[in-house]
Amino acid sequence: MMGPLVPQEIIGADWNLFIAFVVGIGFGFILEQAGFSSSRKLAGVFYGYDTVVLKVFFGGAVTAMLGLLFFSLFGWIDLELVYINPTYLWPAIVGGIIMGVGFIAGGFCPGVSISAIAIGKIDGIVFLAGIFIGIFGFAEAYPLLEDFYMSGDMGSPKLNEMLGLSGGFFGFLVIIAALIMFWLGDLAEKKFPRKEY
Amino acid sequence: MSIKNVVMLGFFLFGLVIAMVPENTTKPYKLTAEDMLVEVQSAAEMVNADEVAHWIISKDPTLQLVDVRTPDKFQKYHLEGAVNVPLSVILSDEYRDILDQGVKMNVLYSNGTMNSHQAWMILRQLGFKNNYVLQGGLNYWFETIMNPEAPSIYSSDEEFARYDFRKAASGALGGGGAVTLTAPAKTEVDKPKIIRTKKKKAPAGGC
Repeated sequence: MMGPLVPQEIIGADWNLFIAFVVGIGFGFILEQAGFSSSRKLAGVFYGYDTVVLKVFFGGAVTAMLGLLFFSLFGWIDLELVYINPTYLWPAIVGGIIMGVGFIAGGFCPGVSISAIAIGKIDGIVFLAGIFIGIFGFAEAYPLLEDFYMSGDMGSPKLNEMLGLSGGFFGFLVIIAALIMFWLGDLAEKKFPRKEY
Repeated sequence: MSIKNVVMLGFFLFGLVIAMVPENTTKPYKLTAEDMLVEVQSAAEMVNADEVAHWIISKDPTLQLVDVRTPDKFQKYHLEGAVNVPLSVILSDEYRDILDQGVKMNVLYSNGTMNSHQAWMILRQLGFKNNYVLQGGLNYWFETIMNPEAPSIYSSDEEFARYDFRKAASGALGGGGAVTLTAPAKTEVDKPKIIRTKKKKAPAGGC
């Protein structure tokens, strides 16, 4: 048996949803336990006094990447079958900027705002209301935005293939980048300390 | 050493290992016996002679006939535009571009259907797509397309229509009357241009 399990229908669609449900609850629980339901902690990445969020997500990405690369090496997963979100270059850049601004201004990303609501935070509820206003506004304006939304279609490229590097070597470069980020994060926390937040 | 440093060192070392080892490109077989049984029973790999005749006459650019018989039989007679990929050498790299591609529709044929089916099963097991089998093989092809039998007067309109089509097809394909099994004038096989396909796209899943 070789993964991925869902696209090959080794795990059926119904179980897929159930597993997603369990993983989702686990994800939310860990976000909350790590203190990510505090908007100050999230905004801390921007101001430099707390870079835990950056470290956790970068660490998670690197761990998952290493796992996939090793699984592929052992013949446990066929990376060709793993779904990659298609890249629409320009809308992705603009969307990233909007998301980033919302992140600093609101103090949450969509996932942790739900965690914040789960422990009864009012700012989380306001943030979620904002999300729905945004979704509604986008849906209504979609005919105007459609051309831009679909522009810069690059398919599902992989950076290492574009650069002509092997997946493993590129993974190593990402790890080096992550270690530098961790180090910069530590530096920022020393430089912009804040006692209570 | 603090836990943090251990984790960092772990990332670094695992990264180093993965950077050094070659990528695993081996693929285990694509189909289980159960999958194969389902496919064989659905008979979705079969294309019938009338369809193929129609594609040949209309010069459908997506059709690629693949003759899996021996080269000398191929020399004696083959369908128009067919390429010869003898069953015994089907795994050779030479033919890989023809057999493993996502653009054309390969129709495998042999005299009967046994060899073409054997070839198809091997290709299917390799995970190649777009390979089909000419139903009935060349024998049936001669019976129906090249020498169609006139339906009796009690036959349905549909059968008459089919007969008319076959009659016309046989004319267009150089058959009709007694079928001579001599090689056609042009013995050179025009090898179709092989369009190299890019890597297959992974099926879209959810995220």
